[in-house]
Amino acid sequence: MPTPEPIHIRFSLNGKTVEARVAPGLTLLELVRRQFSLTAAKEGCGKGECGACTVLLNDQPVNSCLKLAATLRPSDRVVTLEGLADDPLMKRIQHSYVEEGAVQCGFCIPGMVVSSYHLLKVHPQPTPAEIKEFHSGNLCRCTGYTKIEQAVAKAAAARKEGR
Amino acid sequence: MDNLARVHFPSSLREAADLLVARPGARPLAGGTDLLVRHRNGQLPDVTDFVDLSGLDLQKITAEDGRVVIGSGCTMTAVATHPLIRERFPALVQGALQVGAFQIRNAATLGGNVGNASPAGDTIPCLISLEAEVRLFGPAGRRAVPLADFFTGPGRTVLQPGELIEAFALPDRRTAGAFLKLGERRAHAISKVSLALSCWEIAGGRREVRLALGAVAPTVIRCRKAEELLSAAPWPPSAELADKARRLVTEAARPIDDLRSAKEYRRQMTGVLFAKALEQVIGRGASAR
Repeated sequence: MPTPEPIHIRFSLNGKTVEARVAPGLTLLELVRRQFSLTAAKEGCGKGECGACTVLLNDQPVNSCLKLAATLRPSDRVVTLEGLADDPLMKRIQHSYVEEGAVQCGFCIPGMVVSSYHLLKVHPQPTPAEIKEFHSGNLCRCTGYTKIEQAVAKAAAARKEGR
Repeated sequence: MDNLARVHFPSSLREAADLLVARPGARPLAGGTDLLVRHRNGQLPDVTDFVDLSGLDLQKITAEDGRVVIGSGCTMTAVATHPLIRERFPALVQGALQVGAFQIRNAATLGGNVGNASPAGDTIPCLISLEAEVRLFGPAGRRAVPLADFFTGPGRTVLQPGELIEAFALPDRRTAGAFLKLGERRAHAISKVSLALSCWEIAGGRREVRLALGAVAPTVIRCRKAEELLSAAPWPPSAELADKARRLVTEAARPIDDLRSAKEYRRQMTGVLFAKALEQVIGRGASAR
């Protein structure tokens, strides 16, 4: 097999334009963790089922383990959980998760809250069905989902009340 | 994926087709949700190169010359949320929304779902029920094939070396329809059985009906006998006629036993899905004009 040729990429990461040289097979998940030390997104299953690697790509949640870094374009905007650390909505979501006891081992949570964030951006007052639907790509093997769903509902309610 | 040597970024279909012909280890890469998993799992030992299709302007949905044309690079989310599709093709909306889970649907493409040629690919029965044709681009030029004739077996299609799926063209008309699938759970499950029903008004108070079944044969299949029966009678069908059609649908299925389900169960459930789909469509009859 020929030696893999590194590929030069440029894209927006958490609001800043960044550049990198990547191997053809490197995933977006590996890129943000290894080259940018953004370790919130995790590899759970590595095949797009568990959602622990969820990041926002152009405002849409995607599995970063299934996106080749080489295919990122200058117009692409990637936001990881770290990029939302100071966002009031994300803070509200994280607070609600803690209040509701929605976190046990925590491995799934960085991906889970990114999905919660996207949901509340798109549907500020979601129905229970929408909460389930928007978290359908995130698996939690500790808590079951009841407390997570309660936390999301609570964050939505708190937002409505302006807290 | 250390065994991947190169990713190519063609800027035209011609360039992509030439790359695929010149490099036998090259595979087209669209959303990557299936290809990357299989590559990582070592199921594609001969694949050394990916040809990234994302720069080829295949993400458009347009209405032209009596057809709705959906670019092969449209994601499931893009298909399911597009006003033209939502207004005309409810079966396709429902199918696209049942692929994978939320994050997958933001990446997986219609072209990928069809190109993989799985008998359980969820959008395939939907597209066949809507009489889609697939538009191909290859070294010998462009051609169009009815989607129902596109598949030759599980994972096999009529695609020639270097040929790519450019778009899907669907007759532009308002349809009523439904797509139902049976899986282990709602998200991520590969279908044990799936069924798409689409219909549209024709003369004499009747409806032209199309029915396609997934995961019960080597390829997605149409149930022509049930289609003919339902299309010949006034709409909505009587309970007696619906029951007869249900038997024909069950007989059309040629399922197998595998790790996802059993033959006899699949056969029975095909009839159940048909009855549910029909009920859904009749209940929503007012939306199809």
